[in-house]
Amino acid sequence: MLILGCMVLIAGCGCLGLWFAYRIRRRPQELRECSMALALLDTEIVWGATPLPEAFGILKERTDEPWQGFFGELKERLGQGESAGIAWKETMIAQNSHFCLKPEDWNVIGDVGKGLGRSDRTEQHKQIELVQRQLMVMKEQAETWSGKQAKMWSYLGFLGGIAGVLILI
Amino acid sequence: MSLHYTLSVVQEHRLTADLQKVKVSNGEKSLPRLNKSAALWADMARWFGDDVRSILLNLKEVALYEVEELRLRVGQPLMLRTVDKDLFINHQGEATSAYKAYLIKSEDLTAALERMTHSSLYAVEENLKQGFITLPGGNRVGLTGEAVLQDGQLQTLKHISSLNLRIARDIQGQSLKILPLLLNSTGQLYHTLLISPPRAGKTTLLRDLIRSISNGVPKLKLEGQTVGVVDERGELAGMWQGIPTYDLGLRTDVLDGCPKASGMSMMVRSMSPQVLAVDELGHAEDVIAITDALRTGVRILSTAHAGTLEEARSRPVITHLLDQGVFERLVVLSRRHGPGTLEGVYDLKTGGSL
Repeated sequence: MLILGCMVLIAGCGCLGLWFAYRIRRRPQELRECSMALALLDTEIVWGATPLPEAFGILKERTDEPWQGFFGELKERLGQGESAGIAWKETMIAQNSHFCLKPEDWNVIGDVGKGLGRSDRTEQHKQIELVQRQLMVMKEQAETWSGKQAKMWSYLGFLGGIAGVLILI
Repeated sequence: MSLHYTLSVVQEHRLTADLQKVKVSNGEKSLPRLNKSAALWADMARWFGDDVRSILLNLKEVALYEVEELRLRVGQPLMLRTVDKDLFINHQGEATSAYKAYLIKSEDLTAALERMTHSSLYAVEENLKQGFITLPGGNRVGLTGEAVLQDGQLQTLKHISSLNLRIARDIQGQSLKILPLLLNSTGQLYHTLLISPPRAGKTTLLRDLIRSISNGVPKLKLEGQTVGVVDERGELAGMWQGIPTYDLGLRTDVLDGCPKASGMSMMVRSMSPQVLAVDELGHAEDVIAITDALRTGVRILSTAHAGTLEEARSRPVITHLLDQGVFERLVVLSRRHGPGTLEGVYDLKTGGSL
Protein backbone atom coordinates (compact mmCIF):
# COMPACT_ATOMS: atom_id res chain seq x y z
CA MET A 1 0.00 0.00 0.00
CA LEU A 2 2.77 2.34 0.98
CA ILE A 3 4.73 1.53 -2.14
CA LEU A 4 1.65 2.13 -4.27
CA GLY A 5 1.12 5.55 -2.63
CA CYS A 6 4.73 6.46 -3.24
CA MET A 7 4.45 5.50 -6.89
CA VAL A 8 1.29 7.54 -7.33
CA LEU A 9 2.97 10.57 -5.76
CA ILE A 10 6.04 10.26 -7.96
CA ALA A 11 3.96 9.69 -11.10
CA GLY A 12 1.65 12.63 -10.25
CA CYS A 13 4.48 15.07 -9.66
CA GLY A 14 6.29 13.73 -12.74
CA CYS A 15 3.25 14.28 -14.96
CA LEU A 16 2.85 17.80 -13.62
CA GLY A 17 6.48 18.48 -14.46
CA LEU A 18 6.06 17.04 -17.97
CA TRP A 19 2.96 19.15 -18.53
CA PHE A 20 4.84 22.30 -17.56
CA ALA A 21 7.67 21.28 -19.85
CA TYR A 22 5.22 20.72 -22.72
CA ARG A 23 3.72 24.19 -22.25
CA ILE A 24 7.16 25.76 -22.22
CA ARG A 25 8.12 23.95 -25.44
CA ARG A 26 4.94 25.06 -27.14
CA ARG A 27 5.60 28.78 -26.66
CA PRO A 28 8.29 29.21 -29.35
CA GLN A 29 6.17 27.07 -31.67
CA GLU A 30 3.18 29.32 -31.20
CA LEU A 31 5.32 32.40 -31.74
CA ARG A 32 6.64 30.89 -34.96
CA GLU A 33 3.13 30.18 -36.19
CA CYS A 34 2.03 33.69 -35.31
CA SER A 35 4.89 35.11 -37.31
CA MET A 36 3.96 32.90 -40.24
CA ALA A 37 0.32 33.95 -40.01
CA LEU A 38 1.34 37.61 -40.00
CA ALA A 39 3.44 37.01 -43.11
CA LEU A 40 0.32 35.61 -44.79
CA LEU A 41 -1.77 38.55 -43.59
CA ASP A 42 0.85 40.89 -44.97
CA THR A 43 0.70 39.19 -48.37
CA GLU A 44 -3.09 39.35 -48.41
CA ILE A 45 -3.05 43.06 -47.56
CA VAL A 46 -0.20 44.17 -49.81
CA TRP A 47 -0.76 41.97 -52.86
CA GLY A 48 -4.42 41.12 -52.67
CA ALA A 49 -5.82 44.25 -50.99
CA THR A 50 -8.09 41.67 -49.37
CA PRO A 51 -10.52 43.12 -46.82
CA LEU A 52 -9.78 41.94 -43.28
CA PRO A 53 -12.76 39.58 -42.75
CA GLU A 54 -11.84 37.68 -45.92
CA ALA A 55 -8.14 37.76 -45.04
CA PHE A 56 -8.82 36.34 -41.57
CA GLY A 57 -10.92 33.64 -43.21
CA ILE A 58 -7.91 32.66 -45.32
CA LEU A 59 -5.62 32.70 -42.25
CA LYS A 60 -8.08 30.46 -40.43
CA GLU A 61 -7.82 27.91 -43.23
CA ARG A 62 -4.05 28.03 -43.37
CA THR A 63 -3.12 27.88 -39.68
CA ASP A 64 -3.42 25.17 -37.01
CA GLU A 65 -5.01 25.37 -33.60
CA PRO A 66 -4.88 27.49 -31.48
CA TRP A 67 -4.35 30.22 -34.08
CA GLN A 68 -7.14 28.78 -36.18
CA GLY A 69 -9.60 29.56 -33.39
CA PHE A 70 -8.09 32.99 -32.91
CA PHE A 71 -8.54 34.04 -36.54
CA GLY A 72 -11.93 32.36 -36.73
CA GLU A 73 -13.18 34.50 -33.87
CA LEU A 74 -11.66 37.62 -35.42
CA LYS A 75 -13.44 36.95 -38.68
CA GLU A 76 -16.73 36.49 -36.88
CA ARG A 77 -16.32 39.68 -34.85
CA LEU A 78 -15.51 41.75 -37.93
CA GLY A 79 -18.48 40.23 -39.69
CA GLN A 80 -20.67 41.61 -36.92
CA GLY A 81 -19.33 45.08 -37.62
CA GLU A 82 -16.78 45.47 -34.84
CA SER A 83 -13.82 47.66 -35.69
CA ALA A 84 -10.58 45.78 -36.31
CA GLY A 85 -8.66 47.32 -33.40
CA ILE A 86 -11.29 46.44 -30.80
CA ALA A 87 -11.92 43.00 -32.28
CA TRP A 88 -8.19 42.17 -32.12
CA LYS A 89 -7.97 43.23 -28.47
CA GLU A 90 -11.11 41.39 -27.40
CA THR A 91 -10.12 38.24 -29.25
CA MET A 92 -6.75 38.28 -27.50
CA ILE A 93 -8.47 38.36 -24.13
CA ALA A 94 -11.05 35.72 -25.06
CA GLN A 95 -8.57 33.29 -26.63
CA ASN A 96 -5.77 33.76 -24.10
CA SER A 97 -6.49 30.47 -22.30
CA HIS A 98 -5.91 28.39 -25.45
CA PHE A 99 -2.33 29.61 -25.77
CA CYS A 100 0.93 29.02 -23.91
CA LEU A 101 2.16 32.54 -24.56
CA LYS A 102 3.42 34.93 -21.91
CA PRO A 103 2.04 38.42 -21.25
CA GLU A 104 5.06 40.02 -22.93
CA ASP A 105 4.27 38.03 -26.10
CA TRP A 106 0.71 39.29 -26.03
CA ASN A 107 1.98 42.85 -25.67
CA VAL A 108 3.84 42.51 -28.97
CA ILE A 109 0.99 40.68 -30.72
CA GLY A 110 -1.41 43.34 -29.43
CA ASP A 111 0.54 45.95 -31.39
CA VAL A 112 -0.82 44.46 -34.62
CA GLY A 113 -4.31 45.55 -33.61
CA LYS A 114 -3.32 49.16 -33.21
CA GLY A 115 -3.92 50.79 -36.56
CA LEU A 116 -4.92 47.56 -38.30
CA GLY A 117 -6.87 48.43 -41.43
CA ARG A 118 -6.69 52.15 -40.79
CA SER A 119 -4.09 53.17 -43.34
CA ASP A 120 -2.89 52.37 -46.83
CA ARG A 121 -1.11 49.19 -47.83
CA THR A 122 2.43 50.52 -47.40
CA GLU A 123 1.71 51.63 -43.84
CA GLN A 124 0.04 48.34 -42.99
CA HIS A 125 3.05 46.50 -44.36
CA LYS A 126 5.41 48.58 -42.23
CA GLN A 127 3.45 47.95 -39.05
CA ILE A 128 3.15 44.21 -39.57
CA GLU A 129 6.82 43.94 -40.48
CA LEU A 130 7.79 45.71 -37.27
CA VAL A 131 5.75 43.33 -35.14
CA GLN A 132 7.18 40.37 -37.03
CA ARG A 133 10.71 41.49 -36.35
CA GLN A 134 9.96 41.77 -32.64
CA LEU A 135 8.29 38.37 -32.68
CA MET A 136 11.36 36.78 -34.25
CA VAL A 137 13.56 38.18 -31.50
CA MET A 138 11.16 36.88 -28.84
CA LYS A 139 11.01 33.51 -30.55
CA GLU A 140 14.79 33.14 -30.54
CA GLN A 141 14.97 34.10 -26.88
CA ALA A 142 12.14 31.72 -26.07
CA GLU A 143 13.85 28.86 -27.93
CA THR A 144 17.10 29.02 -25.98
CA TRP A 145 15.25 29.59 -22.73
CA SER A 146 12.60 26.93 -23.30
CA GLY A 147 15.14 24.14 -24.08
CA LYS A 148 16.72 24.50 -20.66
CA GLN A 149 13.53 25.20 -18.76
CA ALA A 150 11.60 22.31 -20.29
CA LYS A 151 14.36 19.87 -19.40
CA MET A 152 14.50 21.25 -15.90
CA TRP A 153 10.75 20.94 -15.35
CA SER A 154 10.55 17.41 -16.65
CA TYR A 155 13.31 16.32 -14.19
CA LEU A 156 12.06 18.53 -11.42
CA GLY A 157 8.62 16.92 -11.45
CA PHE A 158 9.94 13.42 -10.84
CA LEU A 159 12.64 14.58 -8.43
CA GLY A 160 10.08 16.60 -6.49
CA GLY A 161 7.90 13.49 -6.27
CA ILE A 162 10.82 11.44 -4.96
CA ALA A 163 11.70 14.18 -2.47
CA GLY A 164 8.11 14.20 -1.25
CA VAL A 165 8.21 10.43 -0.81
CA LEU A 166 11.45 10.62 1.17
CA ILE A 167 10.06 13.32 3.45
CA LEU A 168 6.85 11.39 4.04
CA ILE A 169 8.65 8.16 4.81
CA MET B 1 -6.56 45.79 -56.72
CA SER B 2 -8.13 42.42 -57.04
CA LEU B 3 -9.63 41.61 -60.45
CA HIS B 4 -12.32 39.07 -60.71
CA TYR B 5 -13.08 37.47 -64.00
CA THR B 6 -16.42 35.98 -63.38
CA LEU B 7 -18.54 34.12 -65.79
CA SER B 8 -21.85 35.16 -64.48
CA VAL B 9 -24.33 32.41 -64.12
CA VAL B 10 -27.79 32.95 -62.80
CA GLN B 11 -26.99 33.87 -59.24
CA GLU B 12 -29.27 33.83 -56.30
CA HIS B 13 -29.68 37.37 -55.08
CA ARG B 14 -27.74 37.81 -51.88
CA LEU B 15 -30.01 40.56 -50.73
CA THR B 16 -33.17 38.54 -51.22
CA ALA B 17 -31.62 35.75 -49.19
CA ASP B 18 -30.78 38.19 -46.42
CA LEU B 19 -34.25 39.61 -46.57
CA GLN B 20 -35.79 36.24 -46.04
CA LYS B 21 -33.57 35.66 -43.03
CA VAL B 22 -34.61 38.94 -41.46
CA LYS B 23 -38.23 38.20 -42.21
CA VAL B 24 -38.07 34.86 -40.50
CA SER B 25 -36.23 36.22 -37.49
CA ASN B 26 -38.69 39.04 -37.09
CA GLY B 27 -41.58 36.65 -37.26
CA GLU B 28 -43.89 39.58 -37.97
CA LYS B 29 -47.19 39.07 -39.63
CA SER B 30 -47.72 42.66 -40.72
CA LEU B 31 -48.15 43.79 -44.29
CA PRO B 32 -45.54 42.17 -46.51
CA ARG B 33 -44.64 45.51 -48.08
CA LEU B 34 -43.91 47.18 -44.73
CA ASN B 35 -42.04 44.11 -43.61
CA LYS B 36 -39.96 44.19 -46.74
CA SER B 37 -39.13 47.83 -46.25
CA ALA B 38 -38.11 47.22 -42.63
CA ALA B 39 -35.87 44.38 -43.78
CA LEU B 40 -34.35 46.60 -46.45
CA TRP B 41 -33.70 49.28 -43.85
CA ALA B 42 -32.09 46.73 -41.56
CA ASP B 43 -29.84 45.73 -44.44
CA MET B 44 -28.91 49.37 -45.02
CA ALA B 45 -28.55 50.27 -41.32
CA ARG B 46 -25.76 47.77 -40.74
CA TRP B 47 -23.35 50.12 -42.48
CA PHE B 48 -23.67 52.75 -39.76
CA GLY B 49 -22.48 53.21 -36.17
CA ASP B 50 -24.78 52.59 -33.21
CA ASP B 51 -26.57 55.98 -33.10
CA VAL B 52 -27.44 56.27 -36.77
CA ARG B 53 -28.21 52.58 -36.98
CA SER B 54 -30.82 52.72 -34.24
CA ILE B 55 -32.42 55.75 -35.90
CA LEU B 56 -32.63 53.98 -39.24
CA LEU B 57 -34.06 50.86 -37.63
CA ASN B 58 -36.75 52.96 -35.94
CA LEU B 59 -37.64 54.89 -39.08
CA LYS B 60 -41.34 55.44 -39.38
CA GLU B 61 -43.36 56.32 -42.45
CA VAL B 62 -40.40 56.25 -44.79
CA ALA B 63 -40.13 53.26 -47.10
CA LEU B 64 -36.72 52.48 -48.49
CA TYR B 65 -37.96 52.24 -52.06
CA GLU B 66 -38.88 55.94 -51.89
CA VAL B 67 -35.43 56.98 -50.72
CA GLU B 68 -32.71 57.75 -53.24
CA GLU B 69 -29.95 59.02 -51.01
CA LEU B 70 -28.88 59.03 -47.38
CA ARG B 71 -26.74 61.99 -46.45
CA LEU B 72 -24.50 62.45 -43.43
CA ARG B 73 -22.66 65.74 -42.99
CA VAL B 74 -20.71 66.64 -39.85
CA GLY B 75 -22.67 69.05 -37.68
CA GLN B 76 -25.68 68.92 -39.99
CA PRO B 77 -28.93 67.01 -39.63
CA LEU B 78 -29.31 63.43 -40.85
CA MET B 79 -31.04 63.68 -44.19
CA LEU B 80 -32.89 61.31 -46.51
CA ARG B 81 -33.51 62.37 -50.08
CA THR B 82 -36.59 60.96 -51.74
CA VAL B 83 -37.77 61.48 -55.30
CA ASP B 84 -39.27 64.88 -54.62
CA LYS B 85 -38.24 66.10 -51.16
CA ASP B 86 -35.57 66.13 -48.45
CA LEU B 87 -36.46 64.60 -45.07
CA PHE B 88 -34.66 65.46 -41.84
CA ILE B 89 -34.79 62.68 -39.27
CA ASN B 90 -34.77 63.03 -35.49
CA HIS B 91 -33.58 60.68 -32.71
CA GLN B 92 -36.83 58.72 -32.75
CA GLY B 93 -36.65 58.08 -36.49
CA GLU B 94 -39.41 60.53 -37.40
CA ALA B 95 -39.28 63.11 -40.18
CA THR B 96 -39.08 66.55 -38.64
CA SER B 97 -37.79 70.07 -39.25
CA ALA B 98 -34.08 70.66 -39.79
CA TYR B 99 -33.69 72.24 -36.33
CA LYS B 100 -35.06 69.31 -34.38
CA ALA B 101 -33.30 66.62 -36.38
CA TYR B 102 -30.43 64.43 -35.22
CA LEU B 103 -27.12 66.20 -35.79
CA ILE B 104 -24.36 64.09 -37.24
CA LYS B 105 -21.15 63.86 -35.21
CA SER B 106 -17.77 63.12 -36.74
CA GLU B 107 -17.74 59.79 -34.81
CA ASP B 108 -20.82 58.74 -36.77
CA LEU B 109 -18.90 59.19 -40.00
CA THR B 110 -15.81 57.40 -38.68
CA ALA B 111 -17.92 54.46 -37.50
CA ALA B 112 -19.78 54.34 -40.82
CA LEU B 113 -16.57 54.39 -42.82
CA GLU B 114 -15.10 51.65 -40.65
CA ARG B 115 -18.14 49.44 -41.17
CA MET B 116 -18.43 50.18 -44.87
CA THR B 117 -14.81 49.23 -45.46
CA HIS B 118 -14.94 46.27 -43.02
CA SER B 119 -12.18 48.01 -41.09
CA SER B 120 -9.96 47.67 -44.17
CA LEU B 121 -9.25 51.14 -45.48
CA TYR B 122 -6.34 49.84 -47.54
CA ALA B 123 -8.69 47.68 -49.59
CA VAL B 124 -10.52 50.74 -50.94
CA GLU B 125 -7.39 52.88 -51.31
CA GLU B 126 -7.80 53.36 -55.08
CA ASN B 127 -11.50 54.12 -54.86
CA LEU B 128 -10.99 56.57 -52.04
CA LYS B 129 -8.69 58.58 -54.30
CA GLN B 130 -11.66 59.04 -56.60
CA GLY B 131 -13.92 59.98 -53.71
CA PHE B 132 -16.21 56.99 -53.50
CA ILE B 133 -16.49 53.43 -52.28
CA THR B 134 -18.91 50.77 -53.45
CA LEU B 135 -20.74 48.59 -50.94
CA PRO B 136 -21.60 44.97 -51.55
CA GLY B 137 -24.87 45.19 -53.41
CA GLY B 138 -23.70 47.98 -55.70
CA ASN B 139 -24.77 50.89 -53.51
CA ARG B 140 -22.30 53.67 -54.02
CA VAL B 141 -21.04 55.91 -51.23
CA GLY B 142 -19.59 59.29 -52.14
CA LEU B 143 -17.20 60.89 -49.68
CA THR B 144 -15.63 64.27 -49.10
CA GLY B 145 -13.09 65.33 -46.52
CA GLU B 146 -9.61 66.71 -46.37
CA ALA B 147 -7.47 65.75 -49.34
CA VAL B 148 -3.93 64.53 -48.68
CA LEU B 149 -1.58 65.33 -51.52
CA GLN B 150 1.82 63.96 -52.41
CA ASP B 151 3.76 65.58 -55.26
CA GLY B 152 0.56 67.25 -56.35
CA GLN B 153 -1.22 63.90 -56.64
CA LEU B 154 -4.19 63.06 -54.47
CA GLN B 155 -2.98 60.46 -52.00
CA THR B 156 -6.10 59.87 -49.96
CA LEU B 157 -8.92 61.56 -48.07
CA LYS B 158 -8.81 62.08 -44.33
CA HIS B 159 -11.19 63.62 -41.78
CA ILE B 160 -14.21 62.55 -43.79
CA SER B 161 -16.83 65.26 -43.41
CA SER B 162 -19.66 64.21 -45.72
CA LEU B 163 -21.02 60.94 -46.86
CA ASN B 164 -23.69 60.23 -49.44
CA LEU B 165 -25.09 56.73 -49.74
CA ARG B 166 -26.87 56.29 -53.06
CA ILE B 167 -29.28 53.44 -53.11
CA ALA B 168 -28.89 51.36 -56.25
CA ARG B 169 -32.03 50.28 -58.08
CA ASP B 170 -32.64 47.27 -60.20
CA ILE B 171 -35.68 47.95 -62.34
CA GLN B 172 -36.31 45.26 -64.89
CA GLY B 173 -38.10 45.57 -68.20
CA GLN B 174 -37.42 49.28 -68.66
CA SER B 175 -35.02 48.64 -71.52
CA LEU B 176 -37.61 46.93 -73.72
CA LYS B 177 -39.13 50.30 -74.64
CA ILE B 178 -35.98 51.64 -76.24
CA LEU B 179 -34.20 48.48 -77.29
CA PRO B 180 -35.95 48.27 -80.72
CA LEU B 181 -34.58 51.75 -81.51
CA LEU B 182 -31.05 50.64 -80.72
CA LEU B 183 -30.96 47.63 -83.05
CA ASN B 184 -30.15 47.67 -86.75
CA SER B 185 -31.89 45.56 -89.38
CA THR B 186 -29.61 42.58 -88.77
CA GLY B 187 -30.35 42.61 -85.04
CA GLN B 188 -27.00 44.11 -84.10
CA LEU B 189 -26.73 46.82 -81.50
CA TYR B 190 -25.82 50.32 -82.64
CA HIS B 191 -22.95 51.97 -80.76
CA THR B 192 -25.01 53.66 -78.07
CA LEU B 193 -24.40 56.41 -75.53
CA LEU B 194 -26.82 57.04 -72.66
CA ILE B 195 -26.66 60.52 -71.16
CA SER B 196 -28.47 62.19 -68.27
CA PRO B 197 -27.81 64.47 -65.32
CA PRO B 198 -26.92 62.70 -62.05
CA ARG B 199 -29.65 60.66 -60.32
CA ALA B 200 -31.72 60.17 -63.46
CA GLY B 201 -31.29 56.43 -63.82
CA LYS B 202 -28.46 55.95 -66.31
CA THR B 203 -26.83 53.09 -64.48
CA THR B 204 -30.15 51.39 -63.81
CA LEU B 205 -31.10 51.56 -67.50
CA LEU B 206 -27.66 50.36 -68.59
CA ARG B 207 -27.93 47.40 -66.24
CA ASP B 208 -31.31 46.50 -67.70
CA LEU B 209 -30.06 46.88 -71.27
CA ILE B 210 -27.11 44.60 -70.54
CA ARG B 211 -29.44 41.97 -69.11
CA SER B 212 -31.84 42.12 -72.08
CA ILE B 213 -29.07 41.96 -74.68
CA SER B 214 -27.32 39.16 -72.84
CA ASN B 215 -30.44 37.05 -72.37
CA GLY B 216 -31.92 37.94 -75.75
CA VAL B 217 -35.47 39.15 -76.32
CA PRO B 218 -37.53 36.70 -78.39
CA LYS B 219 -40.27 39.31 -78.81
CA LEU B 220 -37.85 41.57 -80.68
CA LYS B 221 -36.18 38.60 -82.37
CA LEU B 222 -33.02 39.58 -80.54
CA GLU B 223 -30.73 36.66 -79.90
CA GLY B 224 -28.64 36.65 -76.76
CA GLN B 225 -25.21 38.17 -77.29
CA THR B 226 -22.00 37.91 -75.30
CA VAL B 227 -21.65 41.05 -73.24
CA GLY B 228 -18.41 42.16 -71.61
CA VAL B 229 -18.88 44.58 -68.73
CA VAL B 230 -15.96 46.64 -67.46
CA ASP B 231 -17.34 47.66 -64.10
CA GLU B 232 -14.77 50.21 -62.92
CA ARG B 233 -16.87 51.50 -60.05
CA GLY B 234 -18.43 48.18 -59.13
CA GLU B 235 -21.92 49.64 -59.52
CA LEU B 236 -23.24 47.68 -62.48
CA ALA B 237 -22.84 44.14 -61.19
CA GLY B 238 -22.49 44.96 -57.49
CA MET B 239 -19.76 42.32 -57.34
CA TRP B 240 -18.85 41.03 -53.90
CA GLN B 241 -16.01 38.54 -53.61
CA GLY B 242 -16.53 37.45 -57.18
CA ILE B 243 -20.30 37.03 -56.99
CA PRO B 244 -22.54 39.60 -58.71
CA THR B 245 -25.50 40.98 -56.74
CA TYR B 246 -27.43 41.94 -59.83
CA ASP B 247 -28.39 39.54 -62.54
CA LEU B 248 -26.70 40.86 -65.67
CA GLY B 249 -27.84 38.05 -67.91
CA LEU B 250 -26.78 34.63 -69.11
CA ARG B 251 -23.96 35.70 -71.40
CA THR B 252 -22.29 38.43 -69.39
CA ASP B 253 -18.69 38.53 -68.22
CA VAL B 254 -17.80 41.11 -65.62
CA LEU B 255 -14.37 42.62 -65.03
CA ASP B 256 -14.77 44.21 -61.63
CA GLY B 257 -12.90 47.25 -60.31
CA CYS B 258 -10.65 47.60 -63.35
CA PRO B 259 -9.98 51.01 -64.94
CA LYS B 260 -12.03 51.28 -68.14
CA ALA B 261 -9.09 52.06 -70.40
CA SER B 262 -7.07 48.93 -69.62
CA GLY B 263 -10.16 46.85 -68.87
CA MET B 264 -11.70 47.30 -72.29
CA SER B 265 -8.70 46.03 -74.22
CA MET B 266 -8.28 43.22 -71.71
CA MET B 267 -11.90 42.22 -72.15
CA VAL B 268 -11.73 42.28 -75.96
CA ARG B 269 -8.56 40.19 -75.97
CA SER B 270 -9.63 37.63 -73.43
CA MET B 271 -13.40 37.19 -73.57
CA SER B 272 -14.26 38.14 -77.19
CA PRO B 273 -17.50 39.96 -76.38
CA GLN B 274 -19.99 41.05 -79.03
CA VAL B 275 -21.09 44.00 -76.91
CA LEU B 276 -18.85 45.95 -74.55
CA ALA B 277 -20.63 47.86 -71.78
CA VAL B 278 -18.99 50.54 -69.63
CA ASP B 279 -20.32 53.09 -67.17
CA GLU B 280 -19.53 56.82 -67.03
CA LEU B 281 -17.08 57.72 -69.77
CA GLY B 282 -15.06 60.81 -68.97
CA HIS B 283 -11.33 60.23 -69.07
CA ALA B 284 -9.13 60.94 -72.07
CA GLU B 285 -7.75 57.39 -71.93
CA ASP B 286 -11.28 56.02 -72.37
CA VAL B 287 -11.42 57.55 -75.85
CA ILE B 288 -8.30 55.73 -77.00
CA ALA B 289 -9.57 52.46 -75.54
CA ILE B 290 -12.96 52.83 -77.23
CA THR B 291 -11.54 53.67 -80.65
CA ASP B 292 -9.24 50.70 -80.21
CA ALA B 293 -12.11 48.39 -79.29
CA LEU B 294 -14.12 49.59 -82.31
CA ARG B 295 -11.52 48.10 -84.65
CA THR B 296 -12.28 44.66 -83.29
CA GLY B 297 -15.92 44.89 -84.36
CA VAL B 298 -17.35 44.98 -80.87
CA ARG B 299 -20.49 47.09 -80.22
CA ILE B 300 -20.16 49.77 -77.56
CA LEU B 301 -22.79 50.55 -74.93
CA SER B 302 -21.90 53.32 -72.55
CA THR B 303 -23.14 56.12 -70.30
CA ALA B 304 -21.91 59.65 -69.56
CA HIS B 305 -22.91 62.56 -67.36
CA ALA B 306 -24.61 65.31 -69.39
CA GLY B 307 -28.08 66.84 -69.33
CA THR B 308 -28.53 67.34 -73.06
CA LEU B 309 -26.72 66.72 -76.34
CA GLU B 310 -25.41 70.32 -76.20
CA GLU B 311 -24.00 69.74 -72.73
CA ALA B 312 -22.42 66.51 -73.89
CA ARG B 313 -20.80 68.39 -76.75
CA SER B 314 -19.25 70.83 -74.29
CA ARG B 315 -17.34 68.02 -72.61
CA PRO B 316 -14.05 67.55 -74.52
CA VAL B 317 -13.87 63.79 -74.12
CA ILE B 318 -17.45 63.14 -75.20
CA THR B 319 -17.39 65.66 -78.02
CA HIS B 320 -14.25 64.01 -79.37
CA LEU B 321 -16.07 60.68 -79.51
CA LEU B 322 -19.16 62.28 -81.05
CA ASP B 323 -17.11 64.13 -83.69
CA GLN B 324 -15.36 60.94 -84.66
CA GLY B 325 -18.78 59.43 -85.25
CA VAL B 326 -18.16 56.63 -82.81
CA PHE B 327 -21.69 56.59 -81.45
CA GLU B 328 -24.71 55.98 -83.65
CA ARG B 329 -27.49 56.28 -81.07
CA LEU B 330 -27.92 58.72 -78.20
CA VAL B 331 -30.42 58.12 -75.39
CA VAL B 332 -31.26 61.10 -73.17
CA LEU B 333 -32.78 60.59 -69.74
CA SER B 334 -33.99 63.13 -67.18
CA ARG B 335 -35.85 63.41 -63.87
CA ARG B 336 -38.74 65.42 -65.29
CA HIS B 337 -41.32 62.77 -64.35
CA GLY B 338 -39.19 61.06 -61.73
CA PRO B 339 -35.92 59.18 -62.29
CA GLY B 340 -35.64 57.32 -65.56
CA THR B 341 -37.81 59.66 -67.66
CA LEU B 342 -36.97 59.03 -71.30
CA GLU B 343 -36.40 62.38 -73.05
CA GLY B 344 -35.57 60.98 -76.42
CA VAL B 345 -33.54 58.63 -78.57
CA TYR B 346 -31.53 60.27 -81.35
CA ASP B 347 -29.86 58.97 -84.47
CA LEU B 348 -26.47 60.63 -84.39
CA LYS B 349 -25.76 59.97 -88.09
CA THR B 350 -28.76 61.98 -89.28
CA GLY B 351 -29.25 64.03 -86.11
CA GLY B 352 -32.96 63.19 -86.09
CA SER B 353 -35.07 62.06 -83.18
CA LEU B 354 -36.46 58.52 -83.29
